[in-house]
Amino acid sequence: MTASTATKTPDKHRSKGSSLRREEAMWGLALILPSTLGILVFAILPILGSFGISFTDWGGLSLPNWTGLENYKQALGDSKAIESIERTLIFTVISVPLGLVVAIVLASLIQNLKLEKVKTFFRTLYYLPMVTIGVATALLFKVLFTAQGPINLPLNLLGIQGPAWLDSPDTVLTAIAIYSVWQGAGSSIILFMAALANVPKELYEAAQIDGAQPLRLFWHITLPMISPTIFLVLILSLIGSLQVFEAVLVMTKGGPGDSSMTIAMYIYKTGFNYFKMGYATALAWLLSLALVVLIVLQWRLQKSWVHYE
Amino acid sequence: MNNSVNNPAPKARRERWSIVVVLTLGSILIFVPFYWMITMAFKTPDEAYRWPPTLLPETWTLENFKGLFNTIPFLRMFWNSFWTSFLIASLNILTGAPAAYAFARLRFPGKSTWFGTHLLSMIVPWQITIIPVFLLIRAFGWYDSYMALIVPSIANGFSVFMLYQFFRSLPKSLEESVLIDGGSWFTALRHIALPTSSGALAAAWLLAFLGNWQSFLWPLIVLQSEEKMVLPVGLLYLQNQFSVNVPVLMAGATLSVLPTIVAYIFLQRYLTDAAITSGVKG
Repeated sequence: MTASTATKTPDKHRSKGSSLRREEAMWGLALILPSTLGILVFAILPILGSFGISFTDWGGLSLPNWTGLENYKQALGDSKAIESIERTLIFTVISVPLGLVVAIVLASLIQNLKLEKVKTFFRTLYYLPMVTIGVATALLFKVLFTAQGPINLPLNLLGIQGPAWLDSPDTVLTAIAIYSVWQGAGSSIILFMAALANVPKELYEAAQIDGAQPLRLFWHITLPMISPTIFLVLILSLIGSLQVFEAVLVMTKGGPGDSSMTIAMYIYKTGFNYFKMGYATALAWLLSLALVVLIVLQWRLQKSWVHYE
Repeated sequence: MNNSVNNPAPKARRERWSIVVVLTLGSILIFVPFYWMITMAFKTPDEAYRWPPTLLPETWTLENFKGLFNTIPFLRMFWNSFWTSFLIASLNILTGAPAAYAFARLRFPGKSTWFGTHLLSMIVPWQITIIPVFLLIRAFGWYDSYMALIVPSIANGFSVFMLYQFFRSLPKSLEESVLIDGGSWFTALRHIALPTSSGALAAAWLLAFLGNWQSFLWPLIVLQSEEKMVLPVGLLYLQNQFSVNVPVLMAGATLSVLPTIVAYIFLQRYLTDAAITSGVKG
């Protein structure tokens, strides 16, 4: 490509131009070499490798046998895998809308404050869980969610015995979702605050003159204006919650029973506890395929509600 | 309704106060778990399980911290986490800044393909790559060594993408003057682009550090010896050995959470800007 553009330059500058081009190309390749080498060996090669492994019966030790589509066929009939996908979807349906609403409400409240210092204070505070070690806060919430824990304190004071959140199949996914929102809301809040700061003030002033109420302003001006960011946060949190893993491993290891066994947890167990590496990678490819389909679907749908300038 | 239109001032004041009240309630929800964790770390086992719970420890004790240091080599693990995260973040910037600059500014063959591999490495779920990378590490003989932790993380597609966005936003004119004076692209990068982007480099470094500081799945899989282990996995050990001794667990959580919180309060400007420009969680 560089060669063809070089020949198009006028004859006068031809030799000088093309040698400059060549020098530029050499510098470019030299500068990207270390990073690209790392990416090729530890990301691209593994991606290709895992695609290959997913067609084998490999257990990690003995030599793999080619089994063709066997793993994928097995996955479609694996009731444990299907149930873990259902659980992951339930978790997503709880955590994603909760996280979105909490973040939008808090961000617009903070944005409505007058003093810059107070704004920074709240923004910093809500972001705090993001900078802590996830394992530590997950362990902390494991304790908070016990029957006698502080989360039940308000209920207990009213004389109602609160549940042992993580020990009951009915509440365990909700509890993990609450923790995820507590931990992750900060980053969405920051993104929404940046978007809200960019909404032109004149839009509100014009509408206020017409006597519109705050809630109507929010609905008809704010939400459409920040819809690109809503879309971004929606995609990011969908990807995050469909892969929810760390919190599950630390808080419940998938229990009680299998009631918090999400798909990512199931893949991890299949690969590293039962050493069915071939089958685990096949499941991972199916999960990724589902993520891609979901993102493409959202991309199509966004045209109907995301408002671009 | 007519009233409020005639007297906008009290209504506005009431609105502002209700905003502050809601935000404060939200802050309490963020703050209470940390408060509970810290006070629990100083309570005697007897007091820790008392009902109703005490707001502050009646007798402040350091026994839980002693228990923590006797159970796991906490300081050793803290140091392991710190230096590996520091080294990896620095390597990320060292390899990432030149690459990002080249992608943002220079023309060379295969540019979009190479950039595409970086993007792909960023978005591919870990479930896909983790088993092959583990096999690579084992084949290299790096199992249970720091090489396993460091080498696969040297290149970071996320740092490259973030710095690429930044370099693209810089005006080109200064670098062009270097090139016209006969300087090379490397001179332009070293003397013009890098000095003007110290803020972005610091932010990218911080995010990379934080990412490694929090990561636990990879060390859990490739490390085995306790004295090589990093902090997040150490906390997991603590839970397995001490599943009933909550105060010791909370002492460990407190000591691992507080340093980054203090550092964050000083560095929050950089991190917040970084989180916005990257559009992805920190």
